[in-house]
Amino acid sequence: MPFDASSDQRGRQKLDRETVNTLVVFGLSIVLVVCSRFISPALGSWSQVLTVLILASFLIILSFGQGLVILIGGLDLSIPALITLGGVLTTTWIGTGDAGIWYVLPAILVICAMVGAVSGIGIVWLKVPPFIMTMATSIVVASVALGYTSGTPRGGSPSGLLWLMKAWFLGVPVVIYFTLAFIVLGWLLQNFTALGRRLRALGTNRNAALIAGVSVNRLELVPYAISAACAGFVGMMLVGYSNGATLRMGDSYMLPSIAAVVIGGSSILGGSGTFIGTVGGAILLTTLGTMISAIGLSEGWRTIIEGAIIVGALLLLRGEFLTHIGNRMLTRRK
Amino acid sequence: MSAIAANTAPRRSPFWRAVISGTGIVALIYVLLYALYAFWQPDALSVYTFTDLVNNSTPLALAAAGETLVVISRGFDLSVAGVVSLTNVLMAVYPLDGPGGALVSLLMCCAIGAFVGMINGILVARLGLQTIAATLGTMIVCQGLALVILDAPGGTVADFVTYTLTDTLFGVVPIAGLFLVAAVVLWLAFRRTNTGIGLYAIGADEQSARFSGVAVSGVRITAFVGAGILYGVAGFMLSAQTATGNPTAGTPFLMLTFAAVALGGTPLSGGRGSLVGSILGAGTLMLLQKVLFSGGVSSFYTGIFQGFVLVLAIVFGNTVARLLKKDEAR
Repeated sequence: MPFDASSDQRGRQKLDRETVNTLVVFGLSIVLVVCSRFISPALGSWSQVLTVLILASFLIILSFGQGLVILIGGLDLSIPALITLGGVLTTTWIGTGDAGIWYVLPAILVICAMVGAVSGIGIVWLKVPPFIMTMATSIVVASVALGYTSGTPRGGSPSGLLWLMKAWFLGVPVVIYFTLAFIVLGWLLQNFTALGRRLRALGTNRNAALIAGVSVNRLELVPYAISAACAGFVGMMLVGYSNGATLRMGDSYMLPSIAAVVIGGSSILGGSGTFIGTVGGAILLTTLGTMISAIGLSEGWRTIIEGAIIVGALLLLRGEFLTHIGNRMLTRRK
Repeated sequence: MSAIAANTAPRRSPFWRAVISGTGIVALIYVLLYALYAFWQPDALSVYTFTDLVNNSTPLALAAAGETLVVISRGFDLSVAGVVSLTNVLMAVYPLDGPGGALVSLLMCCAIGAFVGMINGILVARLGLQTIAATLGTMIVCQGLALVILDAPGGTVADFVTYTLTDTLFGVVPIAGLFLVAAVVLWLAFRRTNTGIGLYAIGADEQSARFSGVAVSGVRITAFVGAGILYGVAGFMLSAQTATGNPTAGTPFLMLTFAAVALGGTPLSGGRGSLVGSILGAGTLMLLQKVLFSGGVSSFYTGIFQGFVLVLAIVFGNTVARLLKKDEAR
């Protein structure tokens, strides 16, 4: 085969792999929605799709943070505790009505981000493995939330958050516009800013990033802080959604946040992955979760399926599988 | 490589090496802590209190012992939480009474652990997944299975298991302690086998171990299977302790096992360490909890305590490992 420039597919393959994965994930979601009509006529309707998107919005925002942490080769297990922290602080500090919402909400987000930064500090300077450090932060934060509320969180949702979660605009819930804006901003941050590129460089090769002049230690704190702030914000959204906070409100979000990132095509080793893929993963998982509930399977089965999906996605994404599919699609197109 | 060198080249007498190793340090901490405990609570030296302490520590000690196998080979095993929950739930939902029943239950727990370990091993060694990712998956699946079998805390463990395994032999030796002794004896024999040496070798440097003829994937799978069996026994002993089933019984183990392993002088970067240290580390954690909270403080403080101890244990382990390395280099 004579040499020609187009046979050099190194850059293209990577792009294709990520694109293929994203397409597969979104395609599967659509197929699932269509198939779900056969299970129950209530599923697959427009209002059902909107419900799925609202539920997915929590996961999308969470997995943006988790995705950044995984991008640098870490893992954030403190997400449930920070969701609870964000929720509990919102109901107790603001409560019903909107007193001081404009400065208290950002203040809570800053507190969450600081908790995340503490995890980062332990990981960078105390050399504690990420999953252990975030686990430790998680149990401390959960205990503080338990002690602070003495078991039962008081207060309800500020009306601003109720508006965000419940109001509609032009036939679509407001939160969906908000999530779309978040997706665009997240995508821009990850792909078109110096910060996003540096994080990717850090995840790909720490030493190379260091030599290239990236201050890796300080940079490594950023994803943990962002992830914690995202989790805190989801806590606020959940307060608006269910008009109150509970101490277990975050529990069911840890595994999906990891699963969404992994299904979305990010490498668990760090250095690769796109936020758009993660969004697809979050939507796919939420669709699947809704279907599982509709069939009436118990919490246990849902957990088993989630675990199996994580392992399955890891195995599929591990090697050249998607690259092969991508190449095949390319050659056929020719 | 330094770990292999440390194991084969006797620069000091074995006794002296054991004293300044991580195991020696944690043993010293344990003794000091126990002396402090005895100073505050004079009945700490009674057989009853000691048995109680051993009984409380055994499940965590066995789980930490299992985790050590994987950590030495440079890996993390999160499936401990899943296996402990799953075996605990099975013991409570399908109790088998009498000595025969207890034996069958024990074998069943071991078999479950071995099976999960086998899957972990295959996912990691043959299919090339990262240890955290693969074992996270199996942990989730096991926790799901535990929830399917028992969706809320409940059930009763067989009386024979509950009473016999928390009792003492000849009025002095806690029966639970015999399980720990068995684990230690098996470990001391195992670490002299080719597979045992290979475990340290692949933890220190997988590439050179492979070039030196270590069957890397075989050793890895053995480590995960051995770890799984120990988690199974841990679940068995936990059921004897609590006498009831809880689908989330294993969750606290996830954190505490890593704290115990680090405290026991096994660095989380692999290649060195000892199962004995982890057992002592687990004992120290439980003793510490007992010393600080003998009055029964709210779970509010226990959680904060556990979080800090976890981080401190790892920082401590890192420091000891660094000091020992410096000592070796001289």
